[in-house]
Amino acid sequence: MASGKLWSLALRGLLRNRRRSILSLLAVSLGLALLIFINAFIAGVIDDSLNNSIRLRTGHIQIRAESYRDEKVSLQWQDLLSDLDTLMTRVDSSPNLVAAAPVLWAGGVLGTKDDSAGLQVVGIDVDSDLYRPIRESVVAGAFLAADDRNGILVGRRLADSMGIGVDSTISLTVVDSDGVPQDAFFTVRGLFSTGIVTYDENSVFLPLGKAQALTHTEGHASAVVMLLDDPEAAEGVAVGLRGPGLSVQTWADLNGSFLSTLQTAQGFYLILDLIVMLITAVVIANTLLMSVFERFREIGILASLGMKGRQVIQMFLYEATLLGLAGVGVGVLLGGAIVWYLTRYGLYLGDDAASAAGETYAMSSTIYAAFVPSHFVFLSLATLAVTILASLYPASFAARKEPVDALRAL
Amino acid sequence: MQAIHLEKVTKIYQIGEIETRALDGVTIDFDAGEFTALVGPSGSGKTTMLQLLGCLDKADSGAVFINGTDVGTLSPNKRAELRSAEIGFIFQFFALIPVLDAYENVEMPLLLAGVPAKERKERVTGLLEAVGLADRMKHRPDQMSGGQQQRVAIARALAPRPLMVLADEPTANLDTANGEQAMEIMQKLNRETRTAFIFATHDPRVVSYARRVVQMRDGRIVDDRIVGDGAMGDGVTSERVAVASVGAAG
Ligand SMILES: Nc1ncnc2c1ncn2[C@@H]1O[C@H](COP(=O)(O)OP(=O)(O)OP(=O)(O)O)[C@@H](O)[C@H]1O
Ligand SMILES: [Mg+2]
Repeated sequence: MASGKLWSLALRGLLRNRRRSILSLLAVSLGLALLIFINAFIAGVIDDSLNNSIRLRTGHIQIRAESYRDEKVSLQWQDLLSDLDTLMTRVDSSPNLVAAAPVLWAGGVLGTKDDSAGLQVVGIDVDSDLYRPIRESVVAGAFLAADDRNGILVGRRLADSMGIGVDSTISLTVVDSDGVPQDAFFTVRGLFSTGIVTYDENSVFLPLGKAQALTHTEGHASAVVMLLDDPEAAEGVAVGLRGPGLSVQTWADLNGSFLSTLQTAQGFYLILDLIVMLITAVVIANTLLMSVFERFREIGILASLGMKGRQVIQMFLYEATLLGLAGVGVGVLLGGAIVWYLTRYGLYLGDDAASAAGETYAMSSTIYAAFVPSHFVFLSLATLAVTILASLYPASFAARKEPVDALRAL
Repeated sequence: MQAIHLEKVTKIYQIGEIETRALDGVTIDFDAGEFTALVGPSGSGKTTMLQLLGCLDKADSGAVFINGTDVGTLSPNKRAELRSAEIGFIFQFFALIPVLDAYENVEMPLLLAGVPAKERKERVTGLLEAVGLADRMKHRPDQMSGGQQQRVAIARALAPRPLMVLADEPTANLDTANGEQAMEIMQKLNRETRTAFIFATHDPRVVSYARRVVQMRDGRIVDDRIVGDGAMGDGVTSERVAVASVGAAG
């Protein structure tokens, strides 16, 4: 029998119980839209966290002294970069460079009259473009000036929790290069709010010169941070900067723990995908099984006319295929609309969710979905395959019945 | 050799402890072109007999031969092919495919048998004309009366030019006029095509058209006689009705 006629039978099979077919179609399309949403959202979270981390924390490349250890935040001279001028001359001639500046990191304690908090003190080159994101996120007061000797920039969340504001005086204690605690008083010049909660709660900024003076590390820096116009170029640029006593790392190395967490999470997301597909499959199998039951008699009639089991299976598979194609079409439109909206306007998750994401994720409070065309293709094909596979059981169930059983009622 | 031969066919249905011999060692022949009524009380095995003749079910013992082939030895696919080529069915509840119109319903067995398009068209139109439905080809079953639906079913059963048409209570859901019209059409087509018609029926009117009446009881054949050429005649009608009512009374 020509398969054209089987397709036509399949189509009419779907059209005869429109309500049920529309419900099945919705199950397929909502499932797919949900999958598309989940995957675009997760990709968005990943992009966002990685971008935030690169933009605000790691940059694309960092040059440090070979002996510098991240976790110690050491301020001993042998662990710091010296001869910054020579190094910066080399760095400034790197290809793909957008901005580069030395930075000094120190652990410190910020104190007010009746409160204190441990945090990271960052001495920055306030004129560098590297800190444009911070400059742009100042929400009260002003950004720092290079010659400011007692100004400090505090995250708004931290300021709020400690009850301080612009022009408040605070004390800052750091341990200097000789291991001696050093105290100084600062005036809050401005408050910043990057939207990355861990950042807004745990960092304060000083001009590099002041930070060096406070910690007795004049002429030294913890690292030189570089931002490139193309992340892919980082590896090549890094190679050009290697030198004796230097450690040159790219954003991939610097975000290693984040990226490896990501790898683990990938498995979890896959399970999430599979659960959604399984639900779709169950709904489809169920409605098709219902329509097999309903059409038992008819299957018997077709069998009595000489239709073979294989053709009965084919007919139901075609039905599922048509259902799947229509469902995927609607699902792509629906999912596409959701993703379009979320890439444009984002989804506001609130600060709590963002801080719950923890240290590893520098997550913004508003997440923009990422549009990944390959997700659409893969998820559509997978949904179609799942729909067709889900129909195998009902179809073979229909074909297995002896025609006489199907005809009993006649 | 006979076109259709049943050799000591037994069919047993078992439900729990209770075993029913729906057919009990039946041996019988049917010829090409015959017009036969299968009568007998309810539960005597008429439907079971038609199902075995139609290769819809398998015998528990004995054998059904169609054109010399023991159909019990055939694979499900081969049985489907045999049904498609040699056997037409007419059921009590018309049994048309609801989503197909009259034309497509009649065409379906031809599609399944792989008949080429041109010949399909000729046969389908020819048959629908023969059953008086030339103007109803595009009507779906729910747009036709019961009598019209049953005539579509007759056309469909005959479309593959089968060896036999098996009809289970074909008039049970038709009024007198439609029942007689259906019988007359079948009688006419039987004469024109040499297709054998075998009816299971309680309807005396159907029996009155038959040229052979086979009477069953408890899965056995208790009477098998030629009753004439099937032409309606007052003289013989009452006798045939009597035969049928004996069956119905049991
Ligand atoms: N699927 C089945 N399972 C169990 N018993 C069955 C089944 N089909 C038929 N039978 C039994 O087999 C016997 C013959 O049934 P069959 O349907 O052939 O009778 P029939 O002559 O067609 O009756 P009727 O005139 O009422 O249609 C009956 O006793 C019936 O109960
Ligand atoms: Mg019966």
